[in-house]
Amino acid sequence: MAENTRETFEPNIVAFLCNWCSYAGADLAGTSRIHYPSNVKVVRVMCTGRVNPLFVMNALQQGADGVLVSGCHPGDCHYMQGNYYARRRFTLMRRFLEYLGVEPARVRMSWVSASEGSKWKEVVEEVVEGVKAVGPMDQFKRRQLNW
Amino acid sequence: MVDQAKLREVAREVISREDVRLLIGYRPGTYGFRARPAFVESAEQVEELVFTPACVSNLASYLVLEEKPPLPRGAEPDNRKVAVMVKGCDSRALVQQMVEKAYERDHLVVLGIPCSGVVDMARVEARFPGVLSAGSIIREGDDFVLSFDGKTEKVPAAELLADKCKRCRYPTPLVSDIMLDDEVERFAEDDFSDIAELEGKSVEEKWAYWAEKFSRCIRCYSCRNVCPMCYCEDCILDRLKPVWMRRSVDISENTAFHISRAYHLAGRCIQCGECARVCPVDIPLMELNRKFYKDVEELYDYEPGLSTEATPLLSTFSVEDREDFIL
Repeated sequence: MAENTRETFEPNIVAFLCNWCSYAGADLAGTSRIHYPSNVKVVRVMCTGRVNPLFVMNALQQGADGVLVSGCHPGDCHYMQGNYYARRRFTLMRRFLEYLGVEPARVRMSWVSASEGSKWKEVVEEVVEGVKAVGPMDQFKRRQLNW
Repeated sequence: MVDQAKLREVAREVISREDVRLLIGYRPGTYGFRARPAFVESAEQVEELVFTPACVSNLASYLVLEEKPPLPRGAEPDNRKVAVMVKGCDSRALVQQMVEKAYERDHLVVLGIPCSGVVDMARVEARFPGVLSAGSIIREGDDFVLSFDGKTEKVPAAELLADKCKRCRYPTPLVSDIMLDDEVERFAEDDFSDIAELEGKSVEEKWAYWAEKFSRCIRCYSCRNVCPMCYCEDCILDRLKPVWMRRSVDISENTAFHISRAYHLAGRCIQCGECARVCPVDIPLMELNRKFYKDVEELYDYEPGLSTEATPLLSTFSVEDREDFIL
Protein backbone atom coordinates (compact mmCIF):
# COMPACT_ATOMS: atom_id res chain seq x y z
CA MET A 1 0.00 0.00 0.00
CA ALA A 2 1.22 3.46 -0.81
CA GLU A 3 2.50 5.52 2.09
CA ASN A 4 -0.16 7.79 3.47
CA THR A 5 0.89 11.38 3.68
CA ARG A 6 -1.25 14.11 5.14
CA GLU A 7 -2.11 15.36 1.66
CA THR A 8 -3.04 12.07 0.04
CA PHE A 9 -4.52 10.50 3.16
CA GLU A 10 -7.90 8.93 2.50
CA PRO A 11 -9.35 7.81 5.82
CA ASN A 12 -11.16 4.58 6.45
CA ILE A 13 -14.37 5.30 8.30
CA VAL A 14 -16.65 2.63 9.64
CA ALA A 15 -20.25 3.75 9.91
CA PHE A 16 -22.77 1.82 11.99
CA LEU A 17 -26.15 2.80 10.61
CA CYS A 18 -29.47 1.84 12.04
CA ASN A 19 -31.69 -0.06 9.66
CA TRP A 20 -34.72 2.19 10.00
CA CYS A 21 -33.43 5.73 9.68
CA SER A 22 -29.79 6.30 8.84
CA TYR A 23 -29.40 3.37 6.50
CA ALA A 24 -32.51 4.46 4.64
CA GLY A 25 -31.21 8.04 4.71
CA ALA A 26 -27.92 6.96 3.16
CA ASP A 27 -29.88 4.92 0.65
CA LEU A 28 -31.94 7.99 -0.21
CA ALA A 29 -28.74 9.98 -0.71
CA GLY A 30 -27.70 7.28 -3.16
CA THR A 31 -30.94 7.11 -5.08
CA SER A 32 -31.10 10.91 -5.21
CA ARG A 33 -27.61 10.84 -6.75
CA ILE A 34 -26.11 13.00 -4.04
CA HIS A 35 -22.33 12.79 -4.12
CA TYR A 36 -20.63 12.19 -0.81
CA PRO A 37 -17.13 10.98 0.12
CA SER A 38 -16.61 7.30 -0.45
CA ASN A 39 -14.55 6.83 2.70
CA VAL A 40 -17.37 5.43 4.77
CA LYS A 41 -17.82 1.68 5.00
CA VAL A 42 -21.34 1.07 6.14
CA VAL A 43 -22.32 -1.64 8.60
CA ARG A 44 -26.05 -1.99 8.92
CA VAL A 45 -27.39 -2.77 12.34
CA MET A 46 -30.99 -2.96 13.44
CA CYS A 47 -30.65 -0.13 15.95
CA THR A 48 -27.91 2.07 17.39
CA GLY A 49 -28.74 0.37 20.67
CA ARG A 50 -27.24 -2.74 19.10
CA VAL A 51 -23.85 -1.11 18.73
CA ASN A 52 -21.60 -2.20 21.54
CA PRO A 53 -19.21 0.61 22.45
CA LEU A 54 -16.45 -1.95 22.15
CA PHE A 55 -17.20 -2.08 18.41
CA VAL A 56 -15.64 1.37 18.26
CA MET A 57 -12.55 0.14 19.99
CA ASN A 58 -12.34 -2.91 17.74
CA ALA A 59 -12.81 -0.89 14.57
CA LEU A 60 -10.06 1.54 15.56
CA GLN A 61 -7.86 -1.41 16.42
CA GLN A 62 -8.41 -3.13 13.12
CA GLY A 63 -7.61 -0.27 10.82
CA ALA A 64 -10.43 2.25 10.89
CA ASP A 65 -9.34 5.85 11.21
CA GLY A 66 -12.72 6.95 12.41
CA VAL A 67 -16.05 5.55 13.50
CA LEU A 68 -19.49 7.01 12.94
CA VAL A 69 -22.58 5.76 14.70
CA SER A 70 -25.78 7.05 13.23
CA GLY A 71 -29.39 6.42 14.12
CA CYS A 72 -32.88 7.84 14.32
CA HIS A 73 -33.55 11.18 15.92
CA PRO A 74 -34.40 10.98 19.63
CA GLY A 75 -38.03 10.00 19.94
CA ASP A 76 -38.16 8.41 16.49
CA CYS A 77 -36.44 5.14 17.32
CA HIS A 78 -38.17 2.18 15.74
CA TYR A 79 -37.67 0.39 19.05
CA MET A 80 -38.80 3.44 21.04
CA GLN A 81 -35.65 4.01 23.11
CA GLY A 82 -32.63 2.26 21.58
CA ASN A 83 -30.98 5.48 20.50
CA TYR A 84 -31.32 6.98 23.98
CA TYR A 85 -29.28 4.13 25.43
CA ALA A 86 -26.76 4.48 22.63
CA ARG A 87 -26.43 8.18 23.33
CA ARG A 88 -25.34 7.53 26.92
CA ARG A 89 -22.94 4.81 25.95
CA PHE A 90 -21.18 6.76 23.24
CA THR A 91 -21.01 9.97 25.22
CA LEU A 92 -19.02 8.10 27.85
CA MET A 93 -16.94 6.15 25.33
CA ARG A 94 -16.01 9.23 23.38
CA ARG A 95 -14.93 11.16 26.45
CA PHE A 96 -12.97 8.16 27.68
CA LEU A 97 -11.13 7.67 24.40
CA GLU A 98 -10.28 11.33 24.40
CA TYR A 99 -8.85 10.90 27.88
CA LEU A 100 -6.66 8.07 26.61
CA GLY A 101 -5.36 10.20 23.76
CA VAL A 102 -7.59 9.30 20.84
CA GLU A 103 -8.74 12.42 19.04
CA PRO A 104 -12.49 12.97 19.60
CA ALA A 105 -12.88 13.61 15.86
CA ARG A 106 -12.47 9.88 15.32
CA VAL A 107 -15.56 8.90 17.23
CA ARG A 108 -18.68 10.61 15.95
CA MET A 109 -22.37 10.11 16.30
CA SER A 110 -25.24 11.59 14.34
CA TRP A 111 -28.99 11.47 13.98
CA VAL A 112 -30.04 11.07 10.36
CA SER A 113 -33.62 10.19 9.51
CA ALA A 114 -34.81 8.26 6.46
CA SER A 115 -35.74 11.47 4.66
CA GLU A 116 -32.48 13.30 5.27
CA GLY A 117 -30.37 12.24 2.31
CA SER A 118 -28.77 15.65 2.14
CA LYS A 119 -28.04 15.71 5.84
CA TRP A 120 -26.28 12.36 5.44
CA LYS A 121 -24.00 13.95 2.88
CA GLU A 122 -23.19 16.82 5.24
CA VAL A 123 -22.53 14.44 8.11
CA VAL A 124 -20.18 12.29 6.06
CA GLU A 125 -18.36 15.32 4.72
CA GLU A 126 -17.84 16.70 8.19
CA VAL A 127 -16.68 13.38 9.62
CA VAL A 128 -14.25 12.75 6.76
CA GLU A 129 -12.89 16.26 7.04
CA GLY A 130 -12.44 15.86 10.79
CA VAL A 131 -10.59 12.58 10.43
CA LYS A 132 -8.44 13.90 7.60
CA ALA A 133 -7.42 16.77 9.85
CA VAL A 134 -6.17 14.44 12.59
CA GLY A 135 -4.47 12.01 10.24
CA PRO A 136 -4.19 8.22 10.26
CA MET A 137 -5.08 6.34 13.43
CA ASP A 138 -1.85 5.10 14.91
CA GLN A 139 -2.43 4.99 18.65
CA PHE A 140 -3.48 1.42 19.22
CA LYS A 141 -3.96 0.10 15.73
CA ARG A 142 -3.19 -3.58 15.46
CA ARG A 143 0.15 -4.02 13.73
CA GLN A 144 0.71 -6.76 11.22
CA LEU A 145 2.71 -9.47 12.90
CA ASN A 146 5.53 -10.93 10.84
CA TRP A 147 6.46 -14.20 12.40
CA MET B 1 -10.85 2.33 65.90
CA VAL B 2 -12.97 -0.76 66.29
CA ASP B 3 -12.76 -2.56 69.61
CA GLN B 4 -11.29 -5.95 68.73
CA ALA B 5 -12.99 -7.72 71.64
CA LYS B 6 -16.36 -6.37 70.59
CA LEU B 7 -15.72 -7.35 67.00
CA ARG B 8 -15.01 -10.94 68.01
CA GLU B 9 -17.98 -11.07 70.33
CA VAL B 10 -20.33 -9.86 67.59
CA ALA B 11 -18.75 -12.25 65.11
CA ARG B 12 -19.19 -15.15 67.53
CA GLU B 13 -22.82 -14.27 67.98
CA VAL B 14 -23.39 -14.01 64.24
CA ILE B 15 -21.64 -17.20 63.23
CA SER B 16 -23.44 -19.11 65.99
CA ARG B 17 -26.77 -18.22 64.43
CA GLU B 18 -28.36 -21.10 62.66
CA ASP B 19 -29.10 -19.21 59.48
CA VAL B 20 -25.50 -18.09 58.91
CA ARG B 21 -23.16 -20.41 57.11
CA LEU B 22 -20.03 -18.33 56.68
CA LEU B 23 -18.48 -15.16 58.02
CA ILE B 24 -15.93 -13.32 55.94
CA GLY B 25 -13.61 -11.06 57.90
CA TYR B 26 -9.97 -10.19 58.36
CA ARG B 27 -7.25 -12.06 60.24
CA PRO B 28 -3.56 -11.32 60.68
CA GLY B 29 -1.35 -12.43 57.82
CA THR B 30 1.43 -14.95 58.22
CA TYR B 31 3.80 -12.33 59.55
CA GLY B 32 3.94 -8.65 60.29
CA PHE B 33 0.84 -6.55 60.37
CA ARG B 34 -0.51 -7.45 56.99
CA ALA B 35 -4.05 -8.74 57.16
CA ARG B 36 -5.69 -11.32 55.00
CA PRO B 37 -9.26 -12.51 54.54
CA ALA B 38 -10.60 -14.98 57.05
CA PHE B 39 -13.40 -17.39 56.25
CA VAL B 40 -15.00 -18.29 59.54
CA GLU B 41 -17.31 -21.26 59.64
CA SER B 42 -17.52 -21.99 63.34
CA ALA B 43 -17.46 -20.04 66.61
CA GLU B 44 -14.01 -21.38 67.53
CA GLN B 45 -12.42 -19.55 64.64
CA VAL B 46 -13.55 -16.05 65.64
CA GLU B 47 -10.58 -15.55 67.97
CA GLU B 48 -8.36 -14.85 64.98
CA LEU B 49 -10.51 -12.01 63.63
CA VAL B 50 -9.09 -8.48 63.69
CA PHE B 51 -9.63 -5.12 62.17
CA THR B 52 -6.62 -2.85 61.79
CA PRO B 53 -5.67 -0.08 59.39
CA ALA B 54 -3.88 -2.82 57.45
CA CYS B 55 -7.16 -4.47 56.44
CA VAL B 56 -7.01 -3.11 52.95
CA SER B 57 -8.78 -5.73 50.88
CA ASN B 58 -12.38 -5.49 49.80
CA LEU B 59 -14.22 -8.56 51.02
CA ALA B 60 -17.26 -7.91 48.84
CA SER B 61 -15.42 -9.65 46.00
CA TYR B 62 -15.67 -12.99 47.77
CA LEU B 63 -19.45 -12.85 47.88
CA VAL B 64 -19.75 -13.01 44.13
CA LEU B 65 -16.68 -15.10 43.43
CA GLU B 66 -17.79 -18.08 45.45
CA GLU B 67 -18.07 -21.06 43.16
CA LYS B 68 -21.37 -22.86 43.04
CA PRO B 69 -20.60 -26.34 41.75
CA PRO B 70 -23.53 -28.41 40.51
CA LEU B 71 -25.18 -30.29 43.34
CA PRO B 72 -25.59 -34.05 43.46
CA ARG B 73 -29.06 -35.13 42.48
CA GLY B 74 -31.54 -34.62 45.27
CA ALA B 75 -29.23 -32.42 47.34
CA GLU B 76 -30.62 -29.14 48.63
CA PRO B 77 -28.55 -26.00 48.05
CA ASP B 78 -27.18 -24.35 51.20
CA ASN B 79 -29.20 -21.16 51.26
CA ARG B 80 -28.03 -19.93 54.63
CA LYS B 81 -26.74 -16.40 54.89
CA VAL B 82 -23.22 -15.13 54.51
CA ALA B 83 -21.92 -12.56 56.99
CA VAL B 84 -19.35 -10.10 55.78
CA MET B 85 -17.30 -7.34 57.39
CA VAL B 86 -17.26 -4.16 55.32
CA LYS B 87 -15.65 -0.77 55.47
CA GLY B 88 -17.41 2.26 54.00
CA CYS B 89 -16.05 1.75 50.50
CA ASP B 90 -16.70 -1.98 50.55
CA SER B 91 -20.30 -1.42 51.59
CA ARG B 92 -20.86 0.46 48.34
CA ALA B 93 -19.74 -2.63 46.46
CA LEU B 94 -22.46 -4.57 48.27
CA VAL B 95 -25.03 -1.95 47.33
CA GLN B 96 -23.98 -1.96 43.71
CA GLN B 97 -24.02 -5.76 43.57
CA MET B 98 -27.55 -5.69 44.93
CA VAL B 99 -28.54 -3.03 42.41
CA GLU B 100 -27.39 -5.50 39.77
CA LYS B 101 -29.35 -8.28 41.45
CA ALA B 102 -26.28 -10.37 42.16
CA TYR B 103 -28.06 -11.58 45.32
CA GLU B 104 -30.85 -10.53 47.62
CA ARG B 105 -30.40 -8.32 50.66
CA ASP B 106 -31.47 -11.10 53.04
CA HIS B 107 -28.69 -13.29 51.69
CA LEU B 108 -26.33 -11.16 53.77
CA VAL B 109 -25.55 -10.24 57.32
CA VAL B 110 -23.49 -7.09 57.05
CA LEU B 111 -21.10 -6.16 59.83
CA GLY B 112 -20.34 -2.51 59.19
CA ILE B 113 -17.03 -1.03 60.22
CA PRO B 114 -16.92 2.76 60.22
CA CYS B 115 -13.42 3.30 58.92
CA SER B 116 -11.17 6.29 59.21
CA GLY B 117 -8.81 5.07 56.54
CA VAL B 118 -6.48 2.20 55.78
CA VAL B 119 -2.80 2.40 54.99
CA ASP B 120 -1.09 2.15 51.64
CA MET B 121 1.31 -0.75 52.15
CA ALA B 122 3.71 0.56 49.53
CA ARG B 123 3.99 3.84 51.44
CA VAL B 124 4.61 2.03 54.73
CA GLU B 125 7.28 -0.14 53.14
CA ALA B 126 8.94 2.87 51.54
CA ARG B 127 9.07 4.72 54.81
CA PHE B 128 10.06 1.86 57.09
CA PRO B 129 11.74 -0.82 54.98
CA GLY B 130 11.15 -4.28 56.40
CA VAL B 131 8.41 -3.22 58.78
CA LEU B 132 5.77 -5.13 56.86
CA SER B 133 7.24 -8.45 57.89
CA ALA B 134 7.35 -7.72 61.61
CA GLY B 135 5.33 -5.28 63.60
CA SER B 136 1.89 -3.97 64.28
CA ILE B 137 -0.11 -0.91 63.39
CA ILE B 138 -2.99 0.85 65.08
CA ARG B 139 -4.79 4.12 64.64
CA GLU B 140 -4.67 6.70 67.43
CA GLY B 141 -6.57 9.87 66.69
CA ASP B 142 -4.89 11.47 63.72
CA ASP B 143 -1.84 9.23 63.78
CA PHE B 144 -0.88 5.73 62.86
CA VAL B 145 1.20 4.05 65.54
CA LEU B 146 3.61 1.45 64.23
CA SER B 147 5.42 -0.90 66.57
CA PHE B 148 8.37 -2.88 65.29
CA ASP B 149 11.75 -4.07 66.59
CA GLY B 150 10.81 -2.86 70.06
CA LYS B 151 10.39 0.69 68.75
CA THR B 152 7.22 2.72 68.42
CA GLU B 153 6.77 5.25 65.65
CA LYS B 154 3.97 7.77 65.45
CA VAL B 155 3.19 8.93 61.94
CA PRO B 156 0.55 11.48 60.90
CA ALA B 157 -2.24 9.56 59.19
CA ALA B 158 -2.12 11.61 55.99
CA GLU B 159 1.38 10.37 55.23
CA LEU B 160 0.45 6.70 55.09
CA LEU B 161 -3.22 6.74 54.09
CA ALA B 162 -4.17 5.02 50.86
CA ASP B 163 -5.14 7.40 48.07
CA LYS B 164 -8.71 6.20 48.03
CA CYS B 165 -9.08 7.12 51.70
CA LYS B 166 -7.82 10.63 51.12
CA ARG B 167 -10.86 11.24 48.95
CA CYS B 168 -13.32 8.95 50.71
CA ARG B 169 -16.84 10.33 50.68
CA TYR B 170 -18.49 7.54 52.61
CA PRO B 171 -16.37 6.34 55.54
CA THR B 172 -19.40 4.87 57.31
CA PRO B 173 -20.95 1.80 55.66
CA LEU B 174 -24.09 2.68 53.72
CA VAL B 175 -25.64 -0.67 54.40
CA SER B 176 -25.25 -2.71 57.57
CA ASP B 177 -27.10 -4.94 59.97
CA ILE B 178 -24.74 -4.51 62.87
CA MET B 179 -22.53 -1.46 63.13
CA LEU B 180 -19.37 -2.29 65.06
CA ASP B 181 -18.45 1.25 66.04
CA ASP B 182 -19.68 4.81 66.12
CA GLU B 183 -20.24 6.50 62.80
CA VAL B 184 -17.30 8.34 61.31
CA GLU B 185 -17.85 11.84 59.99
CA ARG B 186 -16.90 12.43 56.39
CA PHE B 187 -13.29 13.61 56.61
CA ALA B 188 -12.34 14.06 52.98
CA GLU B 189 -13.66 15.51 49.78
CA ASP B 190 -13.21 14.34 46.24
CA ASP B 191 -12.59 17.05 43.67
CA PHE B 192 -10.99 14.84 40.97
CA SER B 193 -7.89 17.00 41.02
CA ASP B 194 -5.80 13.87 40.46
CA ILE B 195 -7.11 13.33 36.95
CA ALA B 196 -7.70 16.97 36.07
CA GLU B 197 -4.05 17.49 35.24
CA LEU B 198 -4.00 14.72 32.66
CA GLU B 199 -7.34 15.82 31.25
CA GLY B 200 -5.89 19.23 30.50
CA LYS B 201 -3.05 17.86 28.39
CA SER B 202 -3.03 17.48 24.61
CA VAL B 203 -4.05 14.19 23.00
CA GLU B 204 -0.44 13.42 22.09
CA GLU B 205 0.68 13.86 25.67
CA LYS B 206 -2.21 11.79 26.95
CA TRP B 207 -1.45 8.96 24.58
CA ALA B 208 2.26 9.10 25.40
CA TYR B 209 1.33 8.79 29.07
CA TRP B 210 -1.03 5.87 28.60
CA ALA B 211 1.09 4.08 26.01
CA GLU B 212 3.87 3.88 28.55
CA LYS B 213 1.48 2.57 31.23
CA PHE B 214 -0.33 0.09 29.02
CA SER B 215 2.86 -1.29 27.52
CA ARG B 216 3.84 -2.45 31.01
CA CYS B 217 0.71 -4.56 31.37
CA ILE B 218 1.43 -8.28 31.55
CA ARG B 219 -2.25 -9.21 31.24
CA CYS B 220 -2.35 -11.12 34.51
CA TYR B 221 -5.98 -10.01 34.94
CA SER B 222 -5.45 -9.46 38.66
CA CYS B 223 -7.38 -6.22 38.37
CA ARG B 224 -10.37 -8.08 37.05
CA ASN B 225 -10.09 -10.93 39.52
CA VAL B 226 -9.96 -8.71 42.57
CA CYS B 227 -12.69 -6.33 41.45
CA PRO B 228 -15.98 -6.70 43.35
CA MET B 229 -17.88 -5.55 40.28
CA CYS B 230 -16.19 -7.94 37.82
CA TYR B 231 -18.16 -11.05 38.43
CA CYS B 232 -19.61 -12.07 35.06
CA GLU B 233 -19.47 -15.83 34.78
CA ASP B 234 -18.68 -15.44 31.11
CA CYS B 235 -16.13 -12.63 30.90
CA ILE B 236 -15.36 -11.22 27.45
CA LEU B 237 -11.68 -11.59 28.21
CA ASP B 238 -12.03 -15.35 28.44
CA ARG B 239 -14.54 -15.72 25.67
CA LEU B 240 -13.25 -17.40 22.52
CA LYS B 241 -16.18 -16.59 20.28
CA PRO B 242 -15.91 -13.79 19.38
CA VAL B 243 -12.34 -12.97 20.36
CA TRP B 244 -12.73 -9.37 21.48
CA MET B 245 -9.04 -8.96 21.98
CA ARG B 246 -6.16 -11.27 21.36
CA ARG B 247 -4.22 -12.81 24.20
CA SER B 248 -0.91 -11.45 22.97
CA VAL B 249 0.77 -8.82 25.08
CA ASP B 250 1.31 -5.80 22.88
CA ILE B 251 0.28 -2.21 23.01
CA SER B 252 -2.77 -2.64 20.83
CA GLU B 253 -4.26 -5.61 22.68
CA ASN B 254 -3.29 -4.18 26.05
CA THR B 255 -5.06 -0.94 25.24
CA ALA B 256 -8.10 -2.83 24.07
CA PHE B 257 -8.09 -4.78 27.32
CA HIS B 258 -7.87 -1.66 29.44
CA ILE B 259 -10.58 0.09 27.47
CA SER B 260 -12.94 -2.86 27.88
CA ARG B 261 -12.17 -3.34 31.52
CA ALA B 262 -12.70 0.31 32.33
CA TYR B 263 -15.77 0.65 30.15
CA HIS B 264 -17.42 -2.31 31.78
CA LEU B 265 -17.07 -0.46 35.07
CA ALA B 266 -18.59 2.77 33.77
CA GLY B 267 -21.25 3.83 36.23
CA ARG B 268 -20.50 0.77 38.37
CA CYS B 269 -17.05 1.33 39.85
CA ILE B 270 -17.37 2.21 43.52
CA GLN B 271 -13.84 3.52 43.97
CA CYS B 272 -12.48 0.87 46.32
CA GLY B 273 -9.14 1.05 44.55
CA GLU B 274 -8.47 -2.67 44.66
CA CYS B 275 -7.44 -2.91 40.99
CA ALA B 276 -4.68 -0.36 41.34
CA ARG B 277 -3.57 -1.90 44.63
CA VAL B 278 -3.06 -5.39 43.23
CA CYS B 279 -1.52 -4.34 39.92
CA PRO B 280 1.96 -5.89 39.87
CA VAL B 281 3.28 -3.33 37.39
CA ASP B 282 1.68 -0.28 39.01
CA ILE B 283 -0.63 0.83 36.22
CA PRO B 284 -2.76 3.65 37.62
CA LEU B 285 -6.03 1.83 36.90
CA MET B 286 -8.00 4.07 39.19
CA GLU B 287 -7.27 7.00 36.91
CA LEU B 288 -9.22 5.17 34.21
CA ASN B 289 -12.09 4.30 36.51
CA ARG B 290 -12.18 7.77 37.98
CA LYS B 291 -12.52 9.35 34.56
CA PHE B 292 -15.75 7.44 34.11
CA TYR B 293 -16.78 8.18 37.67
CA LYS B 294 -16.26 11.87 37.09
CA ASP B 295 -18.04 11.93 33.73
CA VAL B 296 -20.97 9.97 35.06
CA GLU B 297 -21.34 12.32 37.99
CA GLU B 298 -20.99 15.37 35.81
CA LEU B 299 -23.27 14.29 32.97
CA TYR B 300 -25.87 12.16 34.68
CA ASP B 301 -25.61 13.21 38.31
CA TYR B 302 -25.23 9.57 39.19
CA GLU B 303 -23.04 7.95 41.79
CA PRO B 304 -22.97 4.17 41.85
CA GLY B 305 -23.32 2.17 45.02
CA LEU B 306 -25.37 4.56 47.12
CA SER B 307 -28.84 3.10 47.12
CA THR B 308 -30.18 -0.35 46.41
CA GLU B 309 -33.21 1.30 44.82
CA ALA B 310 -31.12 2.82 42.02
CA THR B 311 -31.22 1.61 38.41
CA PRO B 312 -27.92 0.71 36.75
CA LEU B 313 -26.71 3.77 34.86
CA LEU B 314 -26.46 2.31 31.38
CA SER B 315 -29.74 0.43 31.52
CA THR B 316 -31.64 3.63 31.91
CA PHE B 317 -31.69 6.99 30.15
CA SER B 318 -33.16 10.42 30.33
CA VAL B 319 -34.66 12.21 27.36
CA GLU B 320 -32.74 15.27 28.50
CA ASP B 321 -29.30 13.63 28.33
CA ARG B 322 -26.68 15.88 26.82
CA GLU B 323 -25.93 15.37 23.16
CA ASP B 324 -23.73 18.31 22.28
CA PHE B 325 -21.31 16.21 20.24
CA ILE B 326 -23.96 14.58 18.07
CA LEU B 327 -24.25 15.84 14.52
